[in-house]
Amino acid sequence: MTAILKKPAFLASAEARAVLALFLVFLLGLIFNGDGAFLQAGTHRDALRQASVTGILACGMTVVILAGGIDLAAGSILAFSAISFSIFAIWWAWLPFLAIVAAIGCGLACGVVSGSLTSGLRIQPFIATLAMMVFARGLAKSISGGVKVSTSLPNADGTYHSIQLPAIFRQIDSRFAGDNISVVTLIFLMCAALCWVLLSRHRFGQYVYAVGGNEEAARLSGVPVGMTKIAAYAISGAMAAIAGICQAAQEQQGDPEAGSGYELTAIAMVVIGGTSLTGGRGGVGLTLLGTVIIGYLEKILSINAVPEANRLMLTGVIIVLAVLTQRRGGRGA
Amino acid sequence: MRKLEVGMIAVLMMLSGCGGASTVKTGEKSKTHWKVGMSQCNLGEPWRVQMNSDIRTAAAAFPDMEVIFKDAQNDTLKQRSHIEEFVSAKVDLLLVSPNEAQPLTEPVAKAHAAGIPVIVLDRALMGEQFTTFIGADNRKIGQAAGQWIVSKTGGKGDVVELKGLMTSIPAQDRDAGFREAIRGAGLTIVFEADMKWLEAQARKEMESALARFPKIDVVYAHNDPGAHGAYLASKAAGREKQMLFVSIDALPQEGQSYVRDGIVNATFLYPTGGKEAIYTARQILQGQSVPRKITLQSRVFTKENVDRGGDPIELK
Repeated sequence: MTAILKKPAFLASAEARAVLALFLVFLLGLIFNGDGAFLQAGTHRDALRQASVTGILACGMTVVILAGGIDLAAGSILAFSAISFSIFAIWWAWLPFLAIVAAIGCGLACGVVSGSLTSGLRIQPFIATLAMMVFARGLAKSISGGVKVSTSLPNADGTYHSIQLPAIFRQIDSRFAGDNISVVTLIFLMCAALCWVLLSRHRFGQYVYAVGGNEEAARLSGVPVGMTKIAAYAISGAMAAIAGICQAAQEQQGDPEAGSGYELTAIAMVVIGGTSLTGGRGGVGLTLLGTVIIGYLEKILSINAVPEANRLMLTGVIIVLAVLTQRRGGRGA
Repeated sequence: MRKLEVGMIAVLMMLSGCGGASTVKTGEKSKTHWKVGMSQCNLGEPWRVQMNSDIRTAAAAFPDMEVIFKDAQNDTLKQRSHIEEFVSAKVDLLLVSPNEAQPLTEPVAKAHAAGIPVIVLDRALMGEQFTTFIGADNRKIGQAAGQWIVSKTGGKGDVVELKGLMTSIPAQDRDAGFREAIRGAGLTIVFEADMKWLEAQARKEMESALARFPKIDVVYAHNDPGAHGAYLASKAAGREKQMLFVSIDALPQEGQSYVRDGIVNATFLYPTGGKEAIYTARQILQGQSVPRKITLQSRVFTKENVDRGGDPIELK
């Protein structure tokens, strides 16, 4: 039995298995192509753009999961940063660069707090980031006054007037390379590249894998465990902020309800890619594949106009199948 | 100390149901300061934020009236405790926009039985244990949107319907009314999707619709953000000029702004009833009788009429 289940040699690496899962999803798209919609270039551009915001969250999530943690606050920090960015750029008319840096700072600060709660006060990551998830959502609602931050501003008499949307919003939501690639997708790829460099080409990466693999051993061999964890959550917070800026740009407004539940999609992307939830094993390259797999899955369900109930059930089934494909073959299973 | 004792006695009297509550109420009636409790089911939606803001604005005109707001954050049991808190705080009148009908019917009935007049807003309750209901009719507004689309297109064309959360009654009604109105005309719904009231979701679904259908004539979205998301998707595909965008809600900062900016062609007001609630509350508090049910009228906003506040629509 195990002999039959044993995977062929070319599926020995997690990357190869993730590529296989992606290939299967593609096949699904070719079969259920929505009257040929799947065969159009625009569909692929849009699928990648749609997956980008959660993909950026997933990059930060990968770092935290590799370090043996989890970040449930990512979706809320996204909303808080989207609101901050919209307030800075629309209401206060800051320079785009300044608004972006300040918004990323907001997300980073949230991440530092989450990290300090887990490493300093020794609160379990699940609880610490759950607390941050609730808190950051409240913060988003509080600074926005509970309404969307948009170009339409209230007059004293209860009516509204519109102001100009800052150009940065349209720039982030534009496309290049002959209209074939979204700027948001490029931002996602840059975030993934940044995380990859940090994890694979930098001492910080070794620390992350060491802490996630065996925290005690890492501590004994002189790894600064506390700082590594704080840095991991800070990166996740900063990534959530970048995702928030992209979300705000695409909606042309900051929505305090934005991104709720996105953290779970991001976690699914990380796991489907093949990064282990127990920490220490995996990488951001896998998350890139996981993001594309989930992104295409959503797109295929959408172009076929599958009803919501069936969509949810199918997504559940396909996540299980993708994770099974991803599982190590033979004895490792 | 004395105050506390009196309060405790009052509570005991209410608990034992010996008619203490009505005595308390007549006592308060002679006062010139009304305390009104407003139990909102969820402030996560801009439309409900608008409802609270309409109530606040209308009440601000009356210095003898104070409104206390509570937000149940979509949690029915939390709303139940809010209603109970208002009863024990002895408000003079209760405004409630219930999260769900069944579980909140009884708490509201108890408040009503304790002698507190109750105005139910937007979502109905079961039975008769409240003073009056103020709300609009989503089905009729959906119909009005359908009729408008039929008249603008001459009854021909391909429609994309971006639906609100289809497990919610408003989305079901906006869908049903629309379909009734276009039945028999030559309009075909070629693509429909549940965008759950969310702009980002609407944009995704619209991109799929655009990829599948080279010709789309009308987008009917169940709320303003839905139409806005669909517009952005169509604009990115360079096809926004080929279609009409129609939505419901017409919030001043959303739908009405979008109409002014040429993004949405028509948006239909789903009134919050906030202002009407305060006026009705005053009538009740001053001892006047009010109808059991007040149905709010909708208005249509287009580029031509948005600056004069839209036009009333004939709901057939």
